Amino acid sequence: MNFSVNCIAIIGKLNNPLYIKNFSQSHQDLKYHYIAHTSIDIIEERISAAAKHTDQYLGLLYAMEDLAVFGYITNTRIKFILVISLADVIIKDQDMKNLFRRIHNAYVNLVSNPFYDPDSKKPIVSTRFEQAMREIAT
Amino acid sequence: MLRQPRQTGDEIWKTKVDKISAELFTLTYGSVVAQLMKDHENYIEVNKHLEKMGYNIGVRLIEDFLAKSGTTKCGDFRETADTIAKIGFKIFLGISPTVTNWSADSKEFSLVLEDNPLSDFVELPEDAVTELWYSNVLCGVLRGALEMVHMQVEVAFVSDILRGDDLTEMRVKLVKYLEEEVPAGED
Repeated sequence: MNFSVNCIAIIGKLNNPLYIKNFSQSHQDLKYHYIAHTSIDIIEERISAAAKHTDQYLGLLYAMEDLAVFGYITNTRIKFILVISLADVIIKDQDMKNLFRRIHNAYVNLVSNPFYDPDSKKPIVSTRFEQAMREIAT
Repeated sequence: MLRQPRQTGDEIWKTKVDKISAELFTLTYGSVVAQLMKDHENYIEVNKHLEKMGYNIGVRLIEDFLAKSGTTKCGDFRETADTIAKIGFKIFLGISPTVTNWSADSKEFSLVLEDNPLSDFVELPEDAVTELWYSNVLCGVLRGALEMVHMQVEVAFVSDILRGDDLTEMRVKLVKYLEEEVPAGED
């Protein structure tokens, strides 16, 4: 893979942020918070536009100066957001879907922990999950 | 005729045992522990309660075990340990722990579990890490089952992967063999 993952963000079903992790050195954390926030709006547009809820992978949401934002929504309305730094390469859908599938698996492992409360609004605190995210980003 | 304990365990696991989903089992046990944590104030209480639950399971489980495996009476404590590890755990959990660390007088041994189906996906909360033995129900099961075959044992966890140790290890100590006792109240 010749692009780098800058940020992974996970938004809960009430549009509350669950996990926002910045993996790049080029931008501040705050910028990614802002990006995640605007992504929520775009996702909502896409969902309400489609007649029935089709695919979980939403594809490229929007692109900024040097960043591309991809989205994925689960059937339980949990949204995963990936911010990629744009190199001059075509980014294949299959690669993105792969990354999202791994994030989804890590999220499922997290929720299966009996001590995790999926309904709480608190952000995700779990060393195993952090480890998994780090592996996905690199 | 009693064949090698490991073979018997595998055969019974393949043929006579009904299977359920592993995730369902793990999630059920997980929610039991989570609920106990909400009910009790401290983790020592939760450990004790898990052990009591295990004891109740053990006294009933032994009948099922004896029916399925048809093993004869074990000659000494070492045979008991092998039977527990290779047949007992295999039939009910599908895993084969190893028996190690025998004490000098053959009255204590350790059971080391490589993978524990009860604790898949589990991460202990911070304050529970030092005090909670997540799979403590297994200690109670062993104690209950062995008591029904006239052995009084003490079983406790020594280390647990969930706590950050390298392996999950239970220590089983034989206290004494129980003789048949006339129930109190009879002359």
